[in-house]
Amino acid sequence: MSVLASEWLKIRSVRSSHLTVSISLGGILLGLGLAWMAVDMYDHATPAQKPGARLAELEEVVLMVPQLCMGVLGVLATTSEYATGFIRTSLTAVPKRWPVMAGKSVVVGVIALFTGSAVIFATYFVCRALIADRFGGLYQIPFTDKLPLLTALALTVPVFALLGVGLGSILRTASGSIVVLVGAVYVVPIIVGNLPQPWSDLLGSVMIGALPHEITRDTTTNTVYGSLLPPVAAAAVLVTYALLPLLAGTWLLCRRDV
Amino acid sequence: MPQPNGVIDLQHLTKRYGRTLAVDDLSFTVLPGHVTGFLGPNGAGKSTTMRLVLGLDAPSSGAALVNGKRYASLPRPMHEVGALLDAGAMHGGRSAFNHLLCLARTNGIGPGRVSEMLERVGLAGVAQKHVGGFSLGMKQRLGIAAALLGDPGVLMFDEPVNGLDPDGVRWIRDLMRSLAAEGRTILLSSHLMSEMALTADHIVIVGRGKLIAEETVQELTTRYPSLEDAYLALTAGSLEYGASGS
Amino acid sequence: MRMAFSSEWLKLRSVASTYYALGSAALMMLFGVGWTIYVSSLAEERGSLRAAAPEEGFLPLVQISLATIGVLAITSEHATGMIRASLTAVPSRGTLLLAKAAVVGGVTFVAAHVVLLVTYVAARLIAGDRQLGFNSTGFSDDLPLLFASGVSVTVLALVGLGLGAVTRSTAAAIVSVVAMLFVLPGIATYLPQPWNSRVASLMLPNLVPQIAGDRLSSRLGDGLLSPGVAFVALISYALVALAVGFYFLWRRDA
Repeated sequence: MSVLASEWLKIRSVRSSHLTVSISLGGILLGLGLAWMAVDMYDHATPAQKPGARLAELEEVVLMVPQLCMGVLGVLATTSEYATGFIRTSLTAVPKRWPVMAGKSVVVGVIALFTGSAVIFATYFVCRALIADRFGGLYQIPFTDKLPLLTALALTVPVFALLGVGLGSILRTASGSIVVLVGAVYVVPIIVGNLPQPWSDLLGSVMIGALPHEITRDTTTNTVYGSLLPPVAAAAVLVTYALLPLLAGTWLLCRRDV
Repeated sequence: MPQPNGVIDLQHLTKRYGRTLAVDDLSFTVLPGHVTGFLGPNGAGKSTTMRLVLGLDAPSSGAALVNGKRYASLPRPMHEVGALLDAGAMHGGRSAFNHLLCLARTNGIGPGRVSEMLERVGLAGVAQKHVGGFSLGMKQRLGIAAALLGDPGVLMFDEPVNGLDPDGVRWIRDLMRSLAAEGRTILLSSHLMSEMALTADHIVIVGRGKLIAEETVQELTTRYPSLEDAYLALTAGSLEYGASGS
Repeated sequence: MRMAFSSEWLKLRSVASTYYALGSAALMMLFGVGWTIYVSSLAEERGSLRAAAPEEGFLPLVQISLATIGVLAITSEHATGMIRASLTAVPSRGTLLLAKAAVVGGVTFVAAHVVLLVTYVAARLIAGDRQLGFNSTGFSDDLPLLFASGVSVTVLALVGLGLGAVTRSTAAAIVSVVAMLFVLPGIATYLPQPWNSRVASLMLPNLVPQIAGDRLSSRLGDGLLSPGVAFVALISYALVALAVGFYFLWRRDA
């Protein structure tokens, strides 16, 4: 418990945490802006154009912002301790080491869960209110039908954050960890998308971006990724993204000299 | 060749960070040929003053001149001024030799001089080792080597004895005195009063950014039982922490 | 200036992070070869196919890897405090930033073009006369895209240097580069028409195909900028970032 309290204080008391959470929440404003633009455009379109007007689900577009920011929060939660040498103080205070990682993961995970949920649900409701029945009733699907997908989308944010914690404790440098995180979530999907079939669909199905739709068997939105995994397998893959680097990082932390 | 007439001249130097006055209308002159001790409680503005002299921070008003010029206007500053501010301020992944050579090259100083200085501070044996693995004392020595690279006439050292072993403390004392004897200007800050009494000839004491005293060690020790007593008596009113700039 | 340049060159050469970044960019050659062997084997089965060119598909890897060289050139100095020693040795902050820009620009320009060209040539050699789609055009046709790709890497590294000078934080600067490279273009794609192609045309990675006169993507179609304007826009990204970086380096206490 005291480890949790200490990790919470560590995170709460640095500026980068406030920045990453604030920028994440700025995603809601971005969603608002995009929705407003879409409404303006739709209302100025000719009646003939209106049935063909398309719009992507804006909460999914905006999701990139909290994902990236909370991933960085997770990275910095570990690498900043190595950069400042504070890790030695931390591990002197908690010699068993693994509780430090557990404490960090819980604190970072919870912050990311709240932040991610806030962004997803707030953006969804803002868009629902603004867009109303435009764009072929995109936002007219009953909320209860959307709820599973929105929840799954929100859950990807703590997964990013924990992926960040794990990478940070493996690589111990902010630059390296962020580049690998970015590589995993942006560069790899681009490459996978370019692959010939069947690889594009096979590998596309295990990309983080594909998992929320597979978990909820959601057919209300189009995904650029594959959709081959059954819900349970997709959920397991999502958890693996968070846990595998975290376990590797904890193992290294317990083994390595600091 | 050390430059003669090396003078540090502060004229009504003032530095404000937000609402705190880190340096408050500070005027004094540091002359060549002896070691000038720079004393004051933590947060008194000693390091800020040194950063202002080096042009790292811009003064809110007043001026800090070296040899009559602003530091930033010196064409090859390392040949005129050498400074050790923060011993830890180096990339841990670079070797000691490369760290010094990076600085040396900016002022047209060659690798021969770098090796010579590593030899002088006793780090020749670890020249190719990463500085990340150095102890604080070794980093202090490396920082001193960096300050000496350009053979400057003016030298400033901020707490150089921190982290040094008794051997190192003795070494610094002798180094400071010999550099001063060569006609250089030495400004040295430290909290070790007994050490300062052995090393310095002149003393400048600041508190809360203001000048408290500017006297010779001899004058101070005539009026007070020891330099330590003099320091404690003179700074008694300024112990509250001022600016955070350490 | 020459002395500051030589110092910066040594700074870059004497830290491990530079080699990690170069190594990570060089992975493109490995991936490119693997990719070409793979699609060649598919072509054996299916006759002909349309595969993406490896030097285009893996370009983001080179961009993000080498951009970190620009970021770390300045943020590592702030993180360690070395910046104070550097500014004591070179009091003119413009000279220091310019020397860094010259070294970062030169190294990333050469490294990017070497990696791109090797990948390009290796892919064509492996492909032979199989019809893979990307190898149907001649070298002189592909040259503008190759050159624009290489320049975009250098521009990103310089943008990283400028943003590093502004933020003084490795994490913040890399995230800003990532935002310009992936997040903003991603969001631009989903803007309602016609704003998606208007905004997307100005996004840094989308300037590369516009310089070569190619379309942005199957979703966005053609960009709005002519090759010349797109090239000027690309260079402007670097110049603006460096100018802002210089302003902050010059105005703030170190």
